[in-house]
Amino acid sequence: MSTINFSAREINFKIVYYGPGLSGKTTNLKRIYDQVPAESKGEMVSLATEDERTLFFDFLPLDLGKVNGFKTRFHLYTVPGQVFYNSSRKLILRGVDGVVFVADSAPNRLRANAESLRNLRENLKEYNLSLNEIPYVIQINKRDLENALPVEMIRQVLDPSSSVDFYEAIAEQFKGVFEPLRSVSKLVLEKLAQTT
Amino acid sequence: MLEPSLELYGETYDKVDKLLNDLLAKSHARYAMIVDRKGFVLMHTRALWAPKPPSLDSLATLVASNYSANAAIAQLLGENGFKETVQQGDDVGTYLEELGDKALLVTVFDKSAALGRVKLFTKKAVEEIRMVISNSSDEVPDVSFDTNWSNSTGALIDGLFEVKDDEHN
Ligand SMILES: Nc1nc2c(ncn2[C@@H]2O[C@H](COP(=O)(O)OP(=O)(O)OP(=O)(O)O)[C@@H](O)[C@H]2O)c(=O)[nH]1
Ligand SMILES: [Mg+2]
Repeated sequence: MSTINFSAREINFKIVYYGPGLSGKTTNLKRIYDQVPAESKGEMVSLATEDERTLFFDFLPLDLGKVNGFKTRFHLYTVPGQVFYNSSRKLILRGVDGVVFVADSAPNRLRANAESLRNLRENLKEYNLSLNEIPYVIQINKRDLENALPVEMIRQVLDPSSSVDFYEAIAEQFKGVFEPLRSVSKLVLEKLAQTT
Repeated sequence: MLEPSLELYGETYDKVDKLLNDLLAKSHARYAMIVDRKGFVLMHTRALWAPKPPSLDSLATLVASNYSANAAIAQLLGENGFKETVQQGDDVGTYLEELGDKALLVTVFDKSAALGRVKLFTKKAVEEIRMVISNSSDEVPDVSFDTNWSNSTGALIDGLFEVKDDEHN
C-alpha cells in the first residue's frame, strides 16, 4: 500500500524484485543505478555476503519529481533468492506495491523459477495479499545464454493464462531492464488513481 | 489505497515537530527521526550543532529492516519482541522506540549525550507524540490522484531513462 507523507508532500511506493537465486535481481538494480541521473536517485544499499549473494536486500530510492505539488518516490528492493533465506524474503514484502519477477532462462532453472513464484504467492498470503491485486510483471532474464529456454516455455510455466506482461532481458547489458520497471510503475500509479 | 502511516499533518505535524526538537534539546542527541515500518522517512529533525546526517533513506530502510529482523528473531524464540534497542559504537549510537504499530522513533546520539537521558527523553517523546496524534482533530488533507496525475507521473518515469535509452538503441 502506497504511503503518503502529507508534511513532505511525498507519495512513496515500494517495488520488489523477486525471483530465484542468481536470476539477476541485484544486477537489475545495479544497472538502474548506473543509468539514472544523479539527481533522481539516492544511495544504493546492499546487504550481501562476501561472494555478492544478497543476504537481506538491495535498496535503491528513485525520485521522479513533482506532479500537482506532490513528489513521487519509488523505493526499489531485491530479495535474496536463495531458498533458505525465506524469512528475509518475507520481511522485505511488507508494504509492497508492485513486483518485478525476474526469471532465469537457463534450462536447469526452470523449476527454480516456478518454485520461487509459488513461494512469492505463499509469502504474500502472510500479508493478506495476492498476485491478483498487486501489480506485477515478469522479466525473463539471461536471454544471452546459449542454451536459453524458449520464452514461451518459461511463460507457460509461470503464467499459463498469459495474463501478465513479460519482458525479455539481458540485465547484465541493460537490455530489458527499464521496460519492466516502467511497466510495473505505471500499473502501480494507475491502481492508485483508480482507488482514490 | 492510500495510507498515511501516521496522521502527521496540519497542527499535529507542527506539534510533533516541536516535540522532536524538545527531545534533541533535552537529550543532547544529534538527530531524531520518525520512520514508517516499511522503511520510509516520515519526519526528522537535526540539532543545530550536529554534523550533516548520512542519507536518511538509507538510514530509514536499515533501521526498519533491522527492527523487523529483530522482531522476527524474537518471535522465533517465543517472545513478542526484544526490549532494548540500543546500538552503540565508539562515537555514535542509535536508540529506537516503537511509535504505535506502524512507525518507529529513532534517536541518533554521540558522546556528548548520556544514554540514560536519551532513553528517558525518547520514551517520553513517544508518549507525547502518541497523545498529540490521538487528540488530533485535523481533517485529512483532501488530495486526489486521478488519471491526469498518474499519466503525468508516468511521463516522469519515461524521462528517467530517456537519454540513456537512446544510447542503447
Ligand atoms: N549471462 C547472463 N548473466 C547475467 C545476466 N544478468 C545477471 N547475470 C549474472 O548472474 C549472476 C547473478 O546475478 P545477481 O544479480 O547477483 O543475481 P540475484 O538474483 O541478485 O541473486 P541472489 O542475490 O542470490 O538472489 C551474476 O554473475 C550476474 O553477472 C544476464 O542477463 N545474462
Ligand atoms: Mg541479489
